Amino acid sequence: MKNQLSRRDFLKLGALGVVGTSGVTALAQTAGKNQTRPFTPPMQGMDHGGGVIPGTGNVDHEKNGFNPGDILTDFDFGKVSTLPDGRTLREYEITVINKNIEIVPGIEYPAWTYNGRIPGPTIRCTEGDLIRITMINGSNHPHSLHFHGFHPGAMDGVPGTGPGGTVEPGDSFTYEFEAEPFGLHLYHCHVFPLARHIAKGLYGAFIIDPKGGRPPVDREMIMVMSGFDVDFDDANDFYAVNAIPFYYQNNPIKIRVGESVRIFLVNILEFDLLNSFHLHANFFQYYPTGTSLTPAEFTDTIIQGQAQRGILEFTYKFPGMYMFHAHVTEFAELGWNGMFEVTE
Amino acid sequence: MTQKTTETTRFTFRTLALLLIPIILLAGVISLFLSTGGGLNLESPVPVEALTIERYILKDELIEIYVQNTSLQEITIAQAIINSAVCPIEVTPDATIPRLGRAVVRINYPWNYGEAYAITLFTSNAIPFNLEIPVAFATSEPNSQSFWSFALIGLYVGVIPVFLGIFWFPALRTLGKQWMTFLMAVTAGLLVFLGLDTIAEALEQAASVPGAFQGIGIIGIGAVATFLLLDAISKRQTESGRDEAAKRLSLAFMIAIGIGIHNLGEGLAIGAAYNIGEISLGTFLVVGFIIQNITEGLGIIAPVLRDRPTLRDLALMGLIGGAPAIFGAWIGGFAPSPTLAVLFLAIGAGAIFQVVYEIAKMIQKDTVRKPMSMTVFSGLLTGMLLLWVTGLLIK
Repeated sequence: MKNQLSRRDFLKLGALGVVGTSGVTALAQTAGKNQTRPFTPPMQGMDHGGGVIPGTGNVDHEKNGFNPGDILTDFDFGKVSTLPDGRTLREYEITVINKNIEIVPGIEYPAWTYNGRIPGPTIRCTEGDLIRITMINGSNHPHSLHFHGFHPGAMDGVPGTGPGGTVEPGDSFTYEFEAEPFGLHLYHCHVFPLARHIAKGLYGAFIIDPKGGRPPVDREMIMVMSGFDVDFDDANDFYAVNAIPFYYQNNPIKIRVGESVRIFLVNILEFDLLNSFHLHANFFQYYPTGTSLTPAEFTDTIIQGQAQRGILEFTYKFPGMYMFHAHVTEFAELGWNGMFEVTE
Repeated sequence: MTQKTTETTRFTFRTLALLLIPIILLAGVISLFLSTGGGLNLESPVPVEALTIERYILKDELIEIYVQNTSLQEITIAQAIINSAVCPIEVTPDATIPRLGRAVVRINYPWNYGEAYAITLFTSNAIPFNLEIPVAFATSEPNSQSFWSFALIGLYVGVIPVFLGIFWFPALRTLGKQWMTFLMAVTAGLLVFLGLDTIAEALEQAASVPGAFQGIGIIGIGAVATFLLLDAISKRQTESGRDEAAKRLSLAFMIAIGIGIHNLGEGLAIGAAYNIGEISLGTFLVVGFIIQNITEGLGIIAPVLRDRPTLRDLALMGLIGGAPAIFGAWIGGFAPSPTLAVLFLAIGAGAIFQVVYEIAKMIQKDTVRKPMSMTVFSGLLTGMLLLWVTGLLIK
């Protein structure tokens, strides 16, 4: 969020006040035109006829090395094996890589990434599993992995807690702990300066399913909300779910009428106090932090502060194009906007 | 001056060759440097980007931003954000702008009359360049109506007041010699004030001139060259041995020219300011300009009060002094360019100070071997105060 205009000089307006209404009328007409065709396919670029829709074209996902379309349903269950005591062991390897990522067409952001993608891999396991994650620092800055959840202090990934707190360039460290409690969590780098290390792209989702799993649904999706401060003034310039602004606006998520959908929603937005999620023409059951199997709320809008997360469950009754976006509307028009394309 | 030269130097082939040697050596050094880098490895570690936003035009549902790349390398405009919304852009001729190249960024945007907009243009290196539109209104297109409006503005602030001042001529003719000296001093005072005002305006404008064009340098070149050129012209006229009356008439014309260029600058400023909504040209402001500029007419006729200039000469001087305000308003209104404005203002300042110098010489001739009298002192001060007080009306 940038500082807006310093001041508006109303005195200067005095003599010219009459013409104002015509401008407003023109805008109202434009809005009306949009309403008459709600089934317009993906909003992209300039629409000369029906007014203007904020947005950008597509970035080069191949060059970026990841695609939000894949990240949406990419759950990493790790290398699974069974320990002598019968517990499940899940092993992961995460490498920190400096990488230029085309955030919006034409602008490359010098990001720091876990495994070359933003957000990092979505680590998914079941309560009670033993998690073993080796972080290799392939970048030129010290980094760490700090998980939310229960674990010993030495596995907290915070400077001052031992070798796992600061992993120097070229070094590696293996974090090991038992996954608990069940719910939707996250992980991120915790090296100073923290805000910059997170904002540069070092974050990901961490899902611990309850023993026996959550009730089955037809579709599960991961959405990590974040922003990008491309000019390094400690204010976000672009916002997104799963890193690329306007991706799901340009490439709507296809679901079917009656399909049950579960969204794992994580907010790791730096610099701004709040983020939010609003679903159009529908309501969802909300499970804050996913630590209960009983929903806390039936709503269409929730708010999350940084590192807050929750699980959303919903079903669409009617076919059509449905928007989902931050109802901090400023973020929506700066990239955090998407569409569900619901078909019979 | 150079009738008698004791020794004639001939321009021989040898001289030419000697003159060329350093130039040839220079060319060698440059080509060596360009091809090898001269052992220097001082490339800038980060791109330093500069983009000058020259002006913007608001049309129906459309914002056009005229930009110039004033950095040392080419830059690419990647994205635009208007009031916290990413807006699709069209850049012509190309989003990648060469050094000192220009481009127009077009954004379809449903702007509203009277509202404020903050626009950020991002280059591909994520360098933001900001444009603030304090009050949005449709930019006047160069059509016959706005053309006429700007002509009227120029007429009100330039031509009419200058002619009104000239109408004092019959009354002032009846004054005694000392009063005429007083009036000449008043004129000098007016001009000193205008000259300072013009310089200040030029310095202010120079700040918005793209760095590569060196606004301050333009002020120096424009002012000094104009001063010396006018001085040379007036010396030649002195040498041509014309009578005093003719000299006074030509001085009056030169004052008219100086004031005319000043009014051109004034027109430029008004036209440009009007277009970006910085001033609303209310009746009060126009009245203020008329009152201030009427003194300029007075200044033009001061040197010829004791003579009998023809009506044609008086009319011509009025036009020279006032009409440039119209051209200024047109240029400022339809094709504002800070670089051009700085040049005009500098020329105006040079012309004005040269005229002050001429008037000073004339006053000195009229008051030979007298120390600077109270007449001159009070006249000069009166002239400056006149403009200061009338300036209160329009600042």
